[in-house]
Amino acid sequence: MSPEEGRPDPDALLAAIKAEEPRGRLKIFLGAAPGVGKTWEMLAQARRRRAGGEDVLAGVIETHGRAETQAQLGDLPVLLRRQIPYRGQMLEEFDLDAALARRPGLLLMDELAHTNAPGSRHAKRWEDVAELLEAGISVWATLNVQHLESLNDDVARITGIRPAETLPDRVLEVADEIELIDLPPAELRQRLREGKIYRADTAKRALESFFREGNLAALREIALRRAAAHVDTEVQGWRRRAGVASPWPAAERVLALVGPDPAAEAVVRQAKRLADALHAPWIALHIERAGEGTGSAHAVRGPLALAAQLGADIEVRAPTGGDLIATMLDLASTRNATHLVIGRAAAPLWRRLLGRTLGYQLLRRAPDFVLHIVPALGDAPRRRRSRPATPPSVLPWAGTVALVAAVTGAGVVLRDVLPIEAADMVYLAVVVASAVVWGLWPALLAVALGVLAWDFFFIPPIYTVTIDSPRDVVTALVFTGVAVLTGGLAGRVRAEARAAGARIEGLRRIGAFSRRLGQPTNEPDLLIEIARQAAGLAGRAAVLIARGDELDLRATEPQGESLDEGAWAAARWAWTRGEPTGRGTGTLPSASWRFLPLRTVRGGLGVLGVRSAEDFDDPQLQALEALADQAAVALERVRLATESARAAALEDTQRLRTALLASLGHDLRTPLASIQGAAGTLRTAWNGLTPETRADLLASIEQDVGRMNRFLANITDLTRLESGEVRPRLAPVSVAEVVDAALARLPEALFFAVRIPEGLHVLADAALLEQALFNVLDNALKYSPHGSLVRIRAEAEAGRVAIMIIDEGLGIPAEDLPHVFDSFFRVHRGDRTAPGTGLGLAIARGLVEAMGGRIEARSPGPEAMMAERPGTMITVRLPQAIGTPVNAAEPV
Amino acid sequence: MTAAALARILVVDDEPQIHRFLRPALEAAGYAVERADTAAEALRLAASRAPDAVLLDLGLPDLDGQEVLARLRRFSEVPVIVLSARDREAEKIMALDGGADDYVEKPFGVGELLARIRTALRHRRAADGVPEVVRLPGLDVDLARRQARVDGDALVLSPREWALLALLARNAGRVLTHRQLLTAIWGPAHVEDIQYLRVYVGQLRQKLGPAARLIATEPGVGYRMLDEV
Repeated sequence: MSPEEGRPDPDALLAAIKAEEPRGRLKIFLGAAPGVGKTWEMLAQARRRRAGGEDVLAGVIETHGRAETQAQLGDLPVLLRRQIPYRGQMLEEFDLDAALARRPGLLLMDELAHTNAPGSRHAKRWEDVAELLEAGISVWATLNVQHLESLNDDVARITGIRPAETLPDRVLEVADEIELIDLPPAELRQRLREGKIYRADTAKRALESFFREGNLAALREIALRRAAAHVDTEVQGWRRRAGVASPWPAAERVLALVGPDPAAEAVVRQAKRLADALHAPWIALHIERAGEGTGSAHAVRGPLALAAQLGADIEVRAPTGGDLIATMLDLASTRNATHLVIGRAAAPLWRRLLGRTLGYQLLRRAPDFVLHIVPALGDAPRRRRSRPATPPSVLPWAGTVALVAAVTGAGVVLRDVLPIEAADMVYLAVVVASAVVWGLWPALLAVALGVLAWDFFFIPPIYTVTIDSPRDVVTALVFTGVAVLTGGLAGRVRAEARAAGARIEGLRRIGAFSRRLGQPTNEPDLLIEIARQAAGLAGRAAVLIARGDELDLRATEPQGESLDEGAWAAARWAWTRGEPTGRGTGTLPSASWRFLPLRTVRGGLGVLGVRSAEDFDDPQLQALEALADQAAVALERVRLATESARAAALEDTQRLRTALLASLGHDLRTPLASIQGAAGTLRTAWNGLTPETRADLLASIEQDVGRMNRFLANITDLTRLESGEVRPRLAPVSVAEVVDAALARLPEALFFAVRIPEGLHVLADAALLEQALFNVLDNALKYSPHGSLVRIRAEAEAGRVAIMIIDEGLGIPAEDLPHVFDSFFRVHRGDRTAPGTGLGLAIARGLVEAMGGRIEARSPGPEAMMAERPGTMITVRLPQAIGTPVNAAEPV
Repeated sequence: MTAAALARILVVDDEPQIHRFLRPALEAAGYAVERADTAAEALRLAASRAPDAVLLDLGLPDLDGQEVLARLRRFSEVPVIVLSARDREAEKIMALDGGADDYVEKPFGVGELLARIRTALRHRRAADGVPEVVRLPGLDVDLARRQARVDGDALVLSPREWALLALLARNAGRVLTHRQLLTAIWGPAHVEDIQYLRVYVGQLRQKLGPAARLIATEPGVGYRMLDEV
């Protein structure tokens, strides 16, 4: 044994943690038949709990007028039932919302398999219980074993009565505790006879039917086995959590073949029981056969839904190479199935004679599998064979008659010209044509009509129907054979084409969805598009998006559509549960809308509502589900894009704010310190200062105030630039003039070397360009030693003009180059920056970019002489003004 | 007043505007002023002109202020007052630990700066010959006899309390950082245990009674024994 095997299975631990979340506990009082005392026992225990101080509430208790039960109810508080108006009468039903609001510590619910009155939130009482458990309310419930879904067939077979109310086996499986209420059949019958269960007349009938001793014994055995199986799972769960190695071979797997035949549901139930007994997972496989069309899809929907409910993996396959058995065996071996479950369907006689039944073939071709063949239940209600939805058309029949008539007419006219033998061929052509176009039955009509017409008009004696020569008989047989063969083949081809068409249509639609939903870049547009696409499928659509715990109606098609109260309830349910809800589903089926959750792996986003005049059919539902999936993905994509854009913007803002604070710290404090110092000196030492010193200190104060003013003005400028408030007025501007204007604003005692071609013009706003160049020059001076040279050059290059400002200053480290134009960025050298704010270059960039230009920095500059003074070159590129002659060869 | 009697203050700052008002302010208060704009200049002047006190701005273009302080301390015990921005607390503490005597936050009042300079100069003179008794307003600390008297009444102190009081008194006027106090009294293993210090300072203040106000808290930095009120 490897060390891992002794370790607890992490998935099992996770499941245990999940199971231990504050969820209500479910205890089921399981009985074999009515009257064994489930409700009585539940009430007795509940009263003990209540005496112990627990908050016990009787949700629904059906006393059936039994005195013992009534007495046992005693003083337990009972929840008032809800009145539901239904077709002119008042129905009483368990009030789920009141129970949720009341939040008892323990709620008692009789008859777990009960079907709720129409108009309730859930179709079944066990769904109410599921919601209560989810809400953290513990529930005790009673249940008779015959209501379990998987036992439906067995019970029907044993008792001859098929229970109408069933509940999925998993409800029993998730129960935290099961208490079996057992009463030997003889005692039960005795109680029945004493009138303790039903009134005398009813009891008499019951004793003869359901409550026969044999029935009760069988049911009792089933109930005992079920309770034992639950104990077994508990032990197994404990083993898994505790890391005890499983004694069962894990390799067992059950594969059930579900077809459109009456045995399908029996197959599903048998497979489930088998899987349970083997502690094995199971798969329900349906193989779509082209020839069966949509009718078969309808027929298997029920059994497949049942299988899903019973915990199967559902697989739907198209046959590979038309061979059902090969497809099944292929899946069986890839999924490591060990047991195959099939139904004993009524096969045609010829198949049985030829040994071509499914069971026989599997026996022959699959020797490695354990094979289970389930009989179809004789008394099972015959499933309505639903025909394709298209209404029967007159056209095939009328067309066939018309063809035969036309050919006959032509034949009669040409009778003397053509040989009689040709007539056979012509009628044969008609048979083939109608078989290919309309299928088997019209073709057979064509055979009948053709043979009659042919005999009547062409075979001597003419104008009489007499088939007397063997030749005529042969002809009639050949016609029939051709019609059957061609019609069958053509029918199958058509069905396959239709199935392929439907599949392609589905794929095409998914492709179209993702294409259409991929276009909108913002959420409102996308929601409108989702509603439009859904309305294209269903008629009306609404998109509801979650905001916190609430749903907002965000888009409808047609616009202005509104939801009624019932629809809202269904929408909220679909949203909180992540399940389709409303019309055509098990939850709130009376709502006029159907809601599909919009979910991705990251969670629910909202719901998609659709409403249509008719019920939704399968392809429509599939398309809607595909749309909901695609819509959720598209919505998440748009949101992620928005989110990351916002995060990036936030990060920028954050960086800017940090830089601003740092800058304020330095650039406001330094002048403030100087102003305070100067003012303090003047105040405290006025008499000790010479008049010149006093004047100097006052001037210093003025200068620092000016410096702070400039700093604040810079911040304002930058804010305006960054918010796009600055609108440049572009016009041809002489570069030389603008550079002169910028230089004029700088101190005179500096050295500049200017080389700009005469007549070089750029398309710019003169005032903004002057400010930008001033900032760049000012920056160059700040980082250059006194007395060094700053060069200014300009040249035309491919429709643009480059203005270069080259200094011999300290340069910019390579790692800082990308940031020099960022707001508040300063190349770090202590906190020395003279009157710098770290805004000069950022403003220059803002101005240049507002004019459609670019600015970049390079260091070391092109004329670096000394390592300690590499210099910097800043280049401003702007569009050249058109129509202004340039002579670059001629320096100024 | 002769030139030799003038105390010489070296002002190190790269901001011309600071020099512009400090020079007249200090000269009017009777000090001689030396100006340095860079660290290199500051170290050269500190070595060649032997100033009586140094005002040091930590943000210098050519060398980090802490490094300037460290190099200065290699050859000089001159009192150093650090000029620092308020939001650079860590730098401030580092400078005090690194041998600075005091700090002034920018922007500062001239009066406050002059008071700090006076204290620093006095401390320097005192350090030349350590007195046996430190006399503070309302409190005498007799270092030789290990006795403290508030308005003439002797205090009963535990050994730790005495050590704390003596250390503060010996450095009266100077800021002592948490780290310096903890290292001196509890040892280097306890430099982070500021809560010890809080407890002992609290006890000491209680015992000092009316003289408690002499122990001033420098928030986030340390404590200072005031030598003038």
